Amino acid sequence: MKHFTKFTLWISLLVCIALPHGVAGSVDDAQSFALQAAEPYVKEGFQVREDYWGGDLGAGEKKAVRQQLFKGNEYWFWLGTEVERAKVSVHIYDSEGKLAEQQDSWEKGHFAAAHVIPKATSSYFIIVAVEESPEERTHWALVYGFR
Amino acid sequence: MIAFSKTLKITASVFLGATLCVHATQAPQRIDVGKMSKNVENVVVPLPNEIFGALNKLGSVNWREYVRTEKSSNFKERPRIALLLGTVIADGFVAVQAEDAPAVKEIGQRVLNLSKAIGVGNSITPHAKAITEAADKRKWEEVRQELDRTQSSVQAAMNEVHDEKLSQLVSLGGWLRGTQVLTSVVTKHFSADGAELLHQPDLLVHFQTQLQGMPEYNLPIVREIQDALGQVKPLVDVGSSRISADSVRKINDITTKLDNGIVIKQ
Repeated sequence: MKHFTKFTLWISLLVCIALPHGVAGSVDDAQSFALQAAEPYVKEGFQVREDYWGGDLGAGEKKAVRQQLFKGNEYWFWLGTEVERAKVSVHIYDSEGKLAEQQDSWEKGHFAAAHVIPKATSSYFIIVAVEESPEERTHWALVYGFR
Repeated sequence: MIAFSKTLKITASVFLGATLCVHATQAPQRIDVGKMSKNVENVVVPLPNEIFGALNKLGSVNWREYVRTEKSSNFKERPRIALLLGTVIADGFVAVQAEDAPAVKEIGQRVLNLSKAIGVGNSITPHAKAITEAADKRKWEEVRQELDRTQSSVQAAMNEVHDEKLSQLVSLGGWLRGTQVLTSVVTKHFSADGAELLHQPDLLVHFQTQLQGMPEYNLPIVREIQDALGQVKPLVDVGSSRISADSVRKINDITTKLDNGIVIKQ
């Protein structure tokens, strides 16, 4: 598990082009889906960070990402996977473990997004989960943006 | 690879998801943070512009006061170059805040020179060009994005040749310069909300842990940063209390001294 950059994504996409069909996806594929989820928000003035987190999880498994957020900014976190029949979720908790996200956070199959307007400058936990998946392991990627 | 038709399908489904406001499944109102912390990813270090953006919302800042374009010393030690590179990229974000095109262009060139000096120049050349072009057109959002890409590309190139520790020093250099500028602004016009932006104890622990894993970088500046992080932590790790004006001033003194150490040959 690690965080990645878009540079590694492009390298991986080039490798994918060269590989025959049927080769399993990757975290970088998942990242391209997370970025797709972010796209409409860029038009609303959100700056999407180049760095992102990714890995793979089994169905029902969760992972926590700790992130420093600043009061005054507004954040969206977008989660995606290339496994189209998977269902994923993302939720945000404050440092005390209290749910901190806005009501307009959403989930839609292999995409999910969580919206937070921090009440305090502090560390927050972003919990990503693969709720359901036909695959044994499901790649995920999480990107974030702020304005 | 994602085919174009697939991309359209994804965009459509994302748009549908967003416009229909598909609400998230009921998430627990509380989680046990202690249990989760065993399964936590590394933090992504915030870029200076993330903090500057929050600071801007508290009142107008005369960013031109904080623009810096003076040439720094030339270093041979790669850890020192990495720290300086992070600092110069942070200077780039300051220059963008100030909308100072000549400074942005000069900083872009310095980033390229430092990247070459550390052996990752090839991956930075297109970014340096894009920074110059966007600055000429005064497209500040593009410059910001390109600076983010520059830092990511530098770090990706370092990671690829297993120089992860140098990559961490780039982030640390940027964070230190960002913190120095933040504390300068807040010292000048103190507000509790401005001081609260310093409430980053977990990031300090993150940097301390990384530095502890670099015994091979036994340089005076690295040791000074380690000591300084130890001094800063109690000043910002205040729980739900407020960070005082005196603490902000102390952190500014500490980070200014470190910044001099990073930029000027000792």
